[in-house]
Order: sequence, then structure tokens, then C-alpha cells
Amino acid sequence: MSNLLVNTRDQKFLIYEQIGIEKLFAFDRFADYSQDVVDMVLSEAEKMAVEVIAPTLEEGDKEGAQFKDGKAYAPSCYQEPFKKYCEAGWLCASEEPEVGGQNLPVMLRTAVGELFAAANMSFTMYPGLTHGAANLVKVHGTEEQKNKYMYKMFAGEWGGTMCLTEPGAGSDVGALRTSAKRLPDGRFSITGTKCFISSGDHDLTENIVHPVLARIEGDPPGTKGISIFVVPKIRVNDDGSLGEPNDVVTGNIEHKMGIKGSATATLNFGENGNCIGELLGGEREGMKIMFQMMNEARLDVGLQGQAVASAAFEHAVAYSKERIQSKSALAGKDPNAEALPIINHPPVRRMLMWMKAYLEGIRALNYFTGFSIDVSHASSSEEERNKYGGYVEIMTPICKAFSSDRGVEICSKAMDVYGGYGFCQEYPVEQYMRDCKITQIYEGTNQIQALDLIGRKLGQNGGMNIMSLFEEISATISRVKERENLRSYAAKLEEAYNSVAELPMKFIEFFKSGKPAATIQNAEPFLAVMGDLLCGWLLLQGADIALEKLDAIYKEAGADTVEKQKALAENNTEAAFYEGKIASAKFFASEILPTVRTRCEIVKAGEIIPVEIAEVSFAY
Amino acid sequence: MNIVVCVKQVPDTEALIKVKADGSGIDEGGIKWVMNPYDEFGVEEALKLKEKNGGDVTIVSVGPARALETIRTALAMGAEKGIHINDPALEGADAYTTASALAAAIKEIPHDIVFCGMRAIDDDAGQVGSILAELLGIPQVTVVTKLEVADGKATAVKAIEGAQLVIETSLPCVITAAKGLNEPRYASLPGIMKAKKKPVDVKDAAALGISVAAKAKIVKMMPPPERAPGKIVGGEEAAEKAAQLVKLLREEAKVI
Ligand SMILES: Cc1cc2nc3c(=O)[nH]c(=O)nc-3n(C[C@H](O)[C@H](O)[C@H](O)COP(=O)(O)OP(=O)(O)OC[C@H]3O[C@@H](n4cnc5c(N)ncnc54)[C@H](O)[C@@H]3O)c2cc1C
Repeated sequence: MSNLLVNTRDQKFLIYEQIGIEKLFAFDRFADYSQDVVDMVLSEAEKMAVEVIAPTLEEGDKEGAQFKDGKAYAPSCYQEPFKKYCEAGWLCASEEPEVGGQNLPVMLRTAVGELFAAANMSFTMYPGLTHGAANLVKVHGTEEQKNKYMYKMFAGEWGGTMCLTEPGAGSDVGALRTSAKRLPDGRFSITGTKCFISSGDHDLTENIVHPVLARIEGDPPGTKGISIFVVPKIRVNDDGSLGEPNDVVTGNIEHKMGIKGSATATLNFGENGNCIGELLGGEREGMKIMFQMMNEARLDVGLQGQAVASAAFEHAVAYSKERIQSKSALAGKDPNAEALPIINHPPVRRMLMWMKAYLEGIRALNYFTGFSIDVSHASSSEEERNKYGGYVEIMTPICKAFSSDRGVEICSKAMDVYGGYGFCQEYPVEQYMRDCKITQIYEGTNQIQALDLIGRKLGQNGGMNIMSLFEEISATISRVKERENLRSYAAKLEEAYNSVAELPMKFIEFFKSGKPAATIQNAEPFLAVMGDLLCGWLLLQGADIALEKLDAIYKEAGADTVEKQKALAENNTEAAFYEGKIASAKFFASEILPTVRTRCEIVKAGEIIPVEIAEVSFAY
Repeated sequence: MNIVVCVKQVPDTEALIKVKADGSGIDEGGIKWVMNPYDEFGVEEALKLKEKNGGDVTIVSVGPARALETIRTALAMGAEKGIHINDPALEGADAYTTASALAAAIKEIPHDIVFCGMRAIDDDAGQVGSILAELLGIPQVTVVTKLEVADGKATAVKAIEGAQLVIETSLPCVITAAKGLNEPRYASLPGIMKAKKKPVDVKDAAALGISVAAKAKIVKMMPPPERAPGKIVGGEEAAEKAAQLVKLLREEAKVI
């Protein structure tokens, strides 16, 4: 029975059967883990997601975050769940025991994070940002800063944020104007306005610690002159107790399309010249340091997009089995034909199949990236650490942008499955769609992600990162080609792979031949074909495993004909699941992968019509 | 204070239950197993008592290998140790046999108070707690919604139709937990990691010296009959519809 949030069987398939978490158990860092522990972690997370967090979805949306008399409030129904979530140790699960964590593998954190975000994405913003901010202090803070801020943040007693955006500095962080003036005691006086700050002000915690990007007076313009400061909402005395307010004033909160439960605040620092910040790390190292949090947040945002899509998909499947409408188109004009549950209509089935295939593809992408982070941290082999670290670099913008782009599309299709009811607030899919949309925009818009992919990640490490990822893909192709039942699908993956693999050279060529615009304007199409290639790869890799397991089930049950196999799947949930995995991969290979070649041809043609068209010609 | 909690692993309330074709039981494929919700109240109450008075909480469960997961869940919530009574001969055991197994295990360990759920949501018999108290020869209070333990006595509130009984008993005693007793905590992540290292004794019927000869036997399981489709009462006027409805209730549904 579905929990209507996440297919936990698919989670376990990825964790145990496809990616193989047991490889991590061999590393010292994860020595305390075993399959039964992982099972329990997953089932307790599911329980918390279903029983504690999911009930806040609608209420939190209706009530929304509030702003009254200069203070922001989280929806009141978040209070108890936030406490329970932190008490159960989820906020800092992946950290070391010394700081209150349990060294939870990031792959597993991805899985539990999916459950929580599917239950209510807005809710997860509060602990998510707190974790990221505390982690900055952990890695870059002094002992004093750690003692003062970090432990309380990891425990969920104090909140955290990330303060980059300003009215004049969104995608271009380097344009920021917030300034830091040296004080005689080595600390800084901070002045400036930050906008769109998630969890910037709320009443879930008694204090909030803001990592703030600002420029020290006299430092150079652009990103290289940026430093980062720890700025608490309320000052902290040497003994850890709370002191005076720190002149961080909440101007307002935004009224948004979605994630209404998440308070998005405008914060005015030092309006009265009385806001004190402590430098985090070295001077002018702000961007480098903040990138640690941004990379984590980008993966979290991709996961949010995928998780909300998962909830939308699970709901759509359940609805399509209940909603009775129209007789079968195959029944012709028979007036006595009965109306059927809509899942019987081929166009509805097609939507569901599309959603299922992409959802499983992006889920695999996110989990594989989590796994890569674990290997890059914990492996004893330097070579392996570097290789997987390289995957993480390449995958980060793809996980963020591709998961959120497909996530929004899945939510939109879920609404289509519901028909007119989906557009109405009685059903949850309209909220899923509203909540999901922001994942394409914040934490660096998806256009910025695509630029990061081609501008920075492709050429990184002399192009070795992408090359070794491509090697993994071709290894899967060779293996799956050996399997008769999947051979033709592997051939489609190979064709897509060959086309995509030609693009990096093409981009260099555009640059050399004085056509950089052809590269830049093709960044998004490139990210999209990369996403499809990676999903196609991971789905086929999964199908290869599923096929083997399915054969074993059929053999054991003596199901040697198609009829017998169909009948078996009706009553055997395992067989049904593996059939579903194989169908996802086949569908994706048949319907999506063949488009990749043409799309690559378009990129290679190097047309730059959108760049050439005169501005005045866009609109009348 | 030595506290014992009996827990049973049952199918999740949301699980889709299918009866096996031969009627010998339910098809366990694809079922998610959880701790019986009433037993969770027992575990929570035990942990609260321990936190207040000090002592130890021991979890006892009769069940196949998978029941260990449920014991571990209780350990992750905060109990100290477990006893897993696992014997193929006890599979599908009746209430009396289950209670005998529990009693034999509990007799061997110190116990000031023993918690059970008021019933298990799978077979809904609600007998094990009471039989267990008889076999242990100690008092019992069933269907408890509030409990206080002090000065060697337990004071329990038990809901009965239209009233509440307040019952005082000496210790040791058996308490069967009802909804309302408390709000069970969630196992924490640190709790889960610690649970793995906590001791669980595995015992079979021979080790406990009990007879496994069942007093009751399940002859056949059948799914409930499928519900017939609903009927819309026709007619123009309300009075006409009401008359039609009464007629149907009397003649077809035979409920009035
Ligand atoms: C609900 C919400 C929560 C947020 N939370 C936070 C937070 O916690 N902390 C924080 O610091 N910020 C936060 N933000 C800000 C968010 O990250 C920015 O909105 C985002 O980075 C885009 O900046 P912008 O809105 O100024 O858009 P702009 O930068 O003005 O972008 C407008 C359009 O131009 C495109 N564009 C801009 N520059 C380029 C370029 N160089 N190349 C190609 N395309 C370009 C963009 O892709 C976009 O399509 C949040 C925003 C929202 C709405």
C-alpha cells in the first residue's frame, strides 16, 4: 500500500540492489551501518514523514508564514513537528557523532530527505538551512565560533540561513552592496539589506544565526572581494546565554505562489549601525566558503523538486484507479460499455508512464550523487575519492536543474491526470505544483546551473571528470548489450551517448571560431541532454538488475509463459515491481533517448537566432 | 524498577491484506510489519516510568525472525534489552500458548510491572494480557488510559461504558495499555544506532520448557464478502423518497 509520498520499494531498490550501499559499509566512517540499521532508519523516517510532517502540508499552506509587528512566524502547526524532527536527530544525521550526528551516509540522507520533502517541502526548509549554516561553522569556524553557535544549531535550538541575495544582486552575487566595517576588537559592523532570505525570521527557534556575504570596506569589487560573516539575530554572551538583539530587522516577508509555510524574509542589517558580525574563515574567502553551503543546497533543491514530484505522482496513480470516467475508446460505439477507472485509458496511462520513468530516473540521479559524496569522503583510496568527487562536481548542477525541471513537469502532468479536480484546492496536486515551481528558480536559477555545467564543470580537472563518467556509461552499455531482452534499448542509449559525447568538443570549437554565443545559449539544451543521458543510463542499469531478479522469481514459480507471468505479477508485489522497473527503462529508451540525437544536432548547428534577433522585435 | 513490555509485530494498519488461496492464513508478501500500536503505548509508558524512577525496560516478543525488527524498534525508543521467543512451533500460536511462552520468559527475570497492549490489531483477541497475569499469578488492570506508580502501588484509570474506574493494585502487576495512555515517542537516529548494540536473548519453546500444544486452532480464513454496490433512492418528493427508503431498509436490508 502506497504511503502516497514515495515508493519505498524503489528507494530500497536503489539503495541495496542498484547502487549498493553495502560498498559504503566497508569504509571506517560507516562501520556501524548494516542493512538492518538502514531498514530501520528508512522506516522511522517514513513514519515521521507520514505521521508528523505530512499533516502540516495543507494547514501550513493555508495559514502560511505570517508577519506581525516586525516579527515573522512559521505556521503554528510546524512547532511540534519541528521539535520532534530535531529531537529524533534528523537535522544533523550525516554529521560526526562529536557534533551530535550519526555519520548517516549521504545516500541515505537523500532517501530520508526525499520522504520529508515529499511530506512537506516548506517545512523542511527550516531544518535544511539550519544544517547548511551550521556546517559552514563546522568547517570554517574557529573553536570559539563552533562552541558558541554550531552545537546549538545542529541540535535545532537555533536556526540558520544563507544570506546572499540582495535587491540588486540575484544571479550576480558579485554585485552585492552589503558592507563590513572593521571594529577595533577585530569584529565587523555590518550594513546592508538582504532579500528573499528563507527562514530569515521565524519563531521555531529562539535565535537565528545568519551567514552573511558582505564586502569589507576597501576590498575589490566582484566576487573576489567578498567575505562571509556570522551574524546572529540575538547576540550571544561568552557563557552561551543570549544577550542584546543584534540590529537585524525584518522588513517584511514575501507573499508567494508556493512554499507559503516557509518564511522568505527581507532582512535589514545594521539600520541603526549596531549590527556586529564575526568573520568566518579568511578575508575575501566568502564565495569559496559559501559555495560549500550552496553545493549542498543545490542538491537539496534538486531533491525537493524530485520529492514533491514523487508525492504528486503517487497521488495521481491512486486517483487514476479511483476516478471512473468514460468507457474504453477500444469499446467502439457499444452503448452498454461501462465507464472505466481512468487508468484504463491509454492517454492517461501514457502520462503516468512518462512520469514514472522520469521520476525514477531523477531519483536514481540524486541517490547516485549522494553515494558519490559518500565515496568521495570516506573511501580509503585517494584515486577513488577523486573520481567520485569529480562526479559530484558534474552532477550537482544537473541534479539541481534537471530534477527540478522534470519535477515541475511531473507535477503538471499529475494535475492533468486529475482533470479539473486537480486545479482545485480540495486536492493536493495544485499545492504540489505551486510548491515545486520555486525549485527551478532559487539556489541559482536553472539557467545559471546550465552555465555552471558548461562554463566550469565540463573542463574541470582537464575534462577528466566528465570522461570518467562517460566511461561508466559505456561500461553499462557494453554489459546490457549482452542481454538479449534489453539489447535494442542499450543500442538506443549508445546512440544518445555518442551524440552527447561530441558536444564538449563542439563547444570549444564555437569558442575558438569566435561564436561564444552559440555555446552560451546552448547551455540549457546541453544540460537537458545530459540529464536524459544520465537518466537513461541509470534506468537501464536498473533494468538489467531487475530483469535478473524477475527471471529468478518466474523460475521459482514455474511461470514460463507470458500469461503465467502476468498472472503472477498480479499477486506478487516483487514481480510487479521489477516489471515496472523494466518498463520504465524501456519506455525511456524508446521515447526519450531517440530525441537526444536530434537535439544534439540542433546544438551542433550552432544557430544563434535568439541572440541575433533585435530586442525591439521581441514584442510589439 | 524492572519493567517488562510485551510487544507483537503485526501488519501495518494500511497494509492490503490478502488471504491465501488455501485459507490457511494471510499472504505475507509485500506486507509492511510494524509494532502493534497498543504495544507502543506500553513501551512509552514503561520508558516514562523508567525515566522517573530509574530501572530497566525489557522487551519480550513471540514471533518469527522478522519480529526482531520490532524488538529493535522498542530498543531504539529507549528500552535496555530484549527477549525474542522464536520457535516455528509457535507460529500462529493461540492466545494461551503465546501467554505461556511470555510467562515462562518473564518468570525468569525480575518484573515489578508488565505492560501489554490491550489487544493486537491483527487477530483482535485481546486475551494475552489477562492470561499472562493469571499464569504469573499477579493482579491485572486492563484497558488502562492513565497510570501512576508510587510507593509500591499502581493506580490505574480504566474506561468502562459511561464511566471511569480508578483501580489501585499492588506490584507486580500486568497493565494492558489503551489509546489515550500517552503519545508514543519516535525512535531517534541515535537510538537506532544504539539499539544495534543492545542485547537480545533468543529462546525457543524447549529453552522455556513450555508445551506448544495449541488449545485453539484456525480452521480457515476467509476475506469478508465484497460489499454490494450502493443504491440511490428514487422519487420526486422528499416524502416519497423517505417512504421508499423505509421500505428498502425493512424489506431488503432488514435492519428495521
Ligand atoms: C522563495 C525564495 C526563497 C529564496 N531563498 C533564498 C535564500 O535563502 N538565500 C538567498 O540568498 N537567496 C534566496 N532566494 C533568492 C534566489 O536565489 C534568487 O531569486 C535567484 O538566485 C535569482 O535571482 P533574482 O531573483 O535576482 O533573478 P535575476 O538574477 O534577476 O534573474 C532573472 C532572470 O535572468 C536570468 N539571468 C540572470 N543572470 C543571468 C546570466 N548571467 N546568464 C543567464 N541568465 C541569467 C535568470 O536565470 C532569470 O531567468 C530565494 C528566492 C525565493 C523566491
